[in-house]
Amino acid sequence: MADYRKMWEDLGMDLETHDQLCAVLPTAFGDVYLSQENRPEGMGFWDMVVADVHGIRPAELIEAQKNGQKVFGTFCVYVPDEVIIAANGIVTGLCGGSQFWVPDGEAVLPKSTCPLIKASVGARLGKTCPFFRIADMYVGETTCDGKKKAWEILAQDVPLHVMDVPQMKRPKDIEKWGEEIKEFVKVVEDFTGNKITAENLKEAIHTINEKRKGLARVYEARKAENIPISGRDALLVSQIAFFDDPKRCAMMTNKLADELEERIKNGVSVFPAGTKRIMLTGTPMAIPNWKLHQIIETSGAAVVCEETCTGTRYFENLVDETKDNLDDMIKAIADRYMGIHCACFTPNTERVDDIVRLAKEYKVDGVIDVNLKFCTLYDVEGYTVEKALKEAGIPVLGIETDYADSDAEQLKTRIQAFVELLD
Amino acid sequence: MAEQKKLHYYILFKTYTQGMMMQELLKKDGIKSRIAPAPRAIQGELGCGMSLLIEPELIDAVRESIAKTKAEYHDIVPYETNINPGRNRFC
Repeated sequence: MADYRKMWEDLGMDLETHDQLCAVLPTAFGDVYLSQENRPEGMGFWDMVVADVHGIRPAELIEAQKNGQKVFGTFCVYVPDEVIIAANGIVTGLCGGSQFWVPDGEAVLPKSTCPLIKASVGARLGKTCPFFRIADMYVGETTCDGKKKAWEILAQDVPLHVMDVPQMKRPKDIEKWGEEIKEFVKVVEDFTGNKITAENLKEAIHTINEKRKGLARVYEARKAENIPISGRDALLVSQIAFFDDPKRCAMMTNKLADELEERIKNGVSVFPAGTKRIMLTGTPMAIPNWKLHQIIETSGAAVVCEETCTGTRYFENLVDETKDNLDDMIKAIADRYMGIHCACFTPNTERVDDIVRLAKEYKVDGVIDVNLKFCTLYDVEGYTVEKALKEAGIPVLGIETDYADSDAEQLKTRIQAFVELLD
Repeated sequence: MAEQKKLHYYILFKTYTQGMMMQELLKKDGIKSRIAPAPRAIQGELGCGMSLLIEPELIDAVRESIAKTKAEYHDIVPYETNINPGRNRFC
């Protein structure tokens, strides 16, 4: 219970409003996490981070800034962390997963904007997120129309660089993305005052790959018949990964994976035998959005995989580490990031292939295709996703929701009915 | 899962490192504790922060362990916690 009030004051935060968030987090955390039995001991690290989520890591970032490091706030898995790390910068995720921030976002954005964007903008303008206050520069991207316009609002308040993510994945688009990364290299060099070299970029590529491997090991353990970790816990690990130091993230995820693999050997599961296995696909779930996982896992099912940006899209595929010169490394980075399959691309058949592949790998009984309200891209792509799953004989339920509690009971009824039908 | 409303003890700390240290020391004495965000109502003037949640039947053992190890903490507060996985109230 460290006193971070001085730090928040210095950051120009609205302490009175922020205090309301401090008041609701312990209850939500208790209901979602403390109610679980037999959680892996290694989850203690993530519990500690969440318990002090606006204290510990922000304090570390401020200390790093005092030592001359720059902090880059990012919103999307297409922004290459490697470039920032190579220039001795720090990457942090930004607040965006709570209804708490939505009203402040709606003050400047249309209500018919997705809750992730409304919450992000609201967290910045409402001065209730330390990460938004600390970041020296935000890095946006062009993965949806709502974000593109939101950047224009945020850019009035803080330095913001936008990366132009292509709409298609033809060779010329991937080449263009490589050029975009080169431009980003220049932006980061100018902002940090540090030159990006083949040597430091190679090391950064390795660092981020190791983080991906750690997350991948945790996910791999979820494929086991005896599920050693709940979906809620795995989601928390992934959500915090966006904020944590990448080397510490690799270390802690590998330590957790060791424990999970031991549990698998010993037949330890956090769910009763026969619990139905669910994969989620669709839009990201930024911390503290635990809503759907909680509803599913209190409805007689287990979430074993997320094909989302806060799931497999974040860590699958590594950057080729065999390249030795800067141009080849940037090309390798471009290739890896263009292997992420977001609904912002057309065509996007690779994502549909991924979903069917993952459903088989994780031996799921059913898939829930979840879209945040007003996310047109994922909503429209849902038709193709659900059609492909049905053709593969995998039951699927389409859901549209937001961060509000108001539809929770209705969702629970629908999800319970879906789980019962999987018998 | 049924509603779990009962009295727990929260150990509060000035820094999270004190909390992590305390948990290690309790673990060595075979005492279970869980890391939890401290409820706002018992934080006084301090901000959000971690605490150790202790089951009531373990509190005497915790106090004995602390007396022995001299582990640092800010306060130990009894508080009725209502952990309800079916509440469907998120943040």
